[in-house]
Amino acid sequence: MKFINLLKKELSELINKQMLISLVFILAIFLLMGNVMKSATNEIVSDAANPKINICDMDNTDFTNEMLSYFRSNGTEISSITVTGDDYAEAFRKQKDIKSFVIIPQGFSEAVLSGKKPEILSVGKLRSLSAFSSMTGGTDGTVSLLNGYVSLKLAEQQGISKEDLGTIEAPLTVKEHTVVADKSAEVSLSFISGKMLMQNMLLPMVVLILIMMTSQSLIASISNEKIDKTLETLLSAPVSRGSVITAKMLAAAIAALLNAGVMMIGFSSYTKGMMGSMTSDITSALPADTVDNAKESVSSMLSSGDAMRQLGLTLGAADYLLIGVQLFITIMICLAISIILGALVNDSKSAQTMLLPIMMMVMIPWIVTLLADVNSLPTAAKLIIWAIPFTHTFTAMPNLMFGNYAEFWGGLIYQIIFFAVVMFFALKLFKSDKILTISLNLGQKSRFKKSRKTNED
Amino acid sequence: MANVLEVKELSKQYSKVLAVDKISFDIGEGEIFALIGPNGAGKTTTIRMISTLLTPTSGDAIVAGHSILKAPEKVREAITYLPDEAGAYKQMTGIKYLRFMAGLFTTDIDKLNAYVERAKNICGLGDRLNDKIGSYSRGMIRKLLLARAVMTQPKLAILDEPTSGLDVLNAIEIRKMIKKLAEEEGMSFLLSSHNMLEIEFVSDRIGIISKGHLMVKGRADELKQRYDAPNLEQVFERVVNENEVH
Repeated sequence: MKFINLLKKELSELINKQMLISLVFILAIFLLMGNVMKSATNEIVSDAANPKINICDMDNTDFTNEMLSYFRSNGTEISSITVTGDDYAEAFRKQKDIKSFVIIPQGFSEAVLSGKKPEILSVGKLRSLSAFSSMTGGTDGTVSLLNGYVSLKLAEQQGISKEDLGTIEAPLTVKEHTVVADKSAEVSLSFISGKMLMQNMLLPMVVLILIMMTSQSLIASISNEKIDKTLETLLSAPVSRGSVITAKMLAAAIAALLNAGVMMIGFSSYTKGMMGSMTSDITSALPADTVDNAKESVSSMLSSGDAMRQLGLTLGAADYLLIGVQLFITIMICLAISIILGALVNDSKSAQTMLLPIMMMVMIPWIVTLLADVNSLPTAAKLIIWAIPFTHTFTAMPNLMFGNYAEFWGGLIYQIIFFAVVMFFALKLFKSDKILTISLNLGQKSRFKKSRKTNED
Repeated sequence: MANVLEVKELSKQYSKVLAVDKISFDIGEGEIFALIGPNGAGKTTTIRMISTLLTPTSGDAIVAGHSILKAPEKVREAITYLPDEAGAYKQMTGIKYLRFMAGLFTTDIDKLNAYVERAKNICGLGDRLNDKIGSYSRGMIRKLLLARAVMTQPKLAILDEPTSGLDVLNAIEIRKMIKKLAEEEGMSFLLSSHNMLEIEFVSDRIGIISKGHLMVKGRADELKQRYDAPNLEQVFERVVNENEVH
């Protein structure tokens, strides 16, 4: 009953109006970002579905006219661009909706017909630095159409059929296989790794924010009680110190779970917007005359779900349970460290600084696991990274997927031992005099040292 | 008069500093005992040891028959402690704070309601109790905390600088309240203060502490007579100066 009273108080401090507002705000941001991503991918899809090319035909011969009408007859929309001299910027000023265009200069047809290598000019406008805008803005599609048509004409001149030309251009039929652990599937390695990267960004981001928020709330909870001296009042009341600290930890864990839940919903809506139906839409939207090779490679994307399953890259219920257990241990480690850090605080300024050690412990493994495979690092670097308990949380999912069970279980056992040791010291600290007397005031210490030095001088 | 508190040669050593050195005193039922001394003399350390917040290096204190070493949980049931410059949970309303604190002393809902009702009457904050503590003035917070400290009718209320930061009228009100609770309800108080006028008015007996030693103890008039001083302030000055010389 007294414990429930303590827990209710801790929860009401953590889960308050401000927190709920910030949760709604976070959710709204993710939904908004999801929608932005969706509209950006929709633009790519619609560009693929309705091929539109911008051409400035300065040659204007029968050959070029025949070429453009051939494109039109295959469903490609062509808009004609006017360019004066070499003032390309003017073209963009006049036609605001275009992102790029291709100039067919004078003498193009003549060069083609005389068997020479003609020149074309590709002009693109850098509109922003966002990844998606440059994905849809280029002239690659136009250039490849022109290339294809000119190859066809050159082949005709040499008496080579369309089919033979296809064989000459792509003489090899590449069947890509990807192997993961002891399983293999017929799928492109680059596609699988791209898809995995997108998927694996979700969990570490949630873990990162979860650890930060949990630590911050527990450090603040303990340090505020120390600074306001409410901790002294609380500890002199007829409740055990164990129940005071357990209530604080449990409340921080509940608040963390609430945060995690909201973030998971937000993140999944964001990634759905990003990945969504992009691949399937692009495939179905591809025009009929798209080069067969490209079509084949895109259609292989469709079977990616099956391929991922075949490669064991999708997690089963047991795997999710193990990741859940690891997340729980991670939160517990974070809470235990936060108790010690919270106890060291004696003013609100140092409360902010105390978050730094935890931030470092999370950011380092997060960045390392994002950029490199920890298991393949040099031994010394690997041991240092492994010593940071949160590393094993970031490597849990890949370890399970790639069948590195020894690393997974080793990491989990290490985390449990780490938690037990830190928790032992945290409880010892909380149950001793030190919870009221210990403090780490770096500023004061340095001032003290400075004044001593001045006196000595 | 039975003793509510018996302090027996209580000492506290922080790594290199002996903060409290074999202090002994007692407080009877309904008695108000004031511990006075300069800053860093060991008042708060002594108070914290009796409140079971700090563990003594040696010695013991018996509160309502229970040892602070052997039965700290029993001691905590018999005392309440109000730290110097203590705050309260700013997000809570005054009434919620009282209910929360009462809930730490009892699980019986009738008792809890009685404690809260008593605190409401004592603090005199009226409807402001429904406002968040964050909106209270310093004086209002102190009144709320004092009401909290006495609402459970503890055998011993330990108040560190009970009127610090309060204006004259509020301070007078609180002194009167302490005296009334001791006289009418038999509650015992252990106070610490820097205000000699307050000590002289409110306390039955005084202990002057300096550099961790309890130098003298007795009634205010006894001490004034012994040191041939017109007021307690001069007694205090002489006692502390004597200790500096030694």
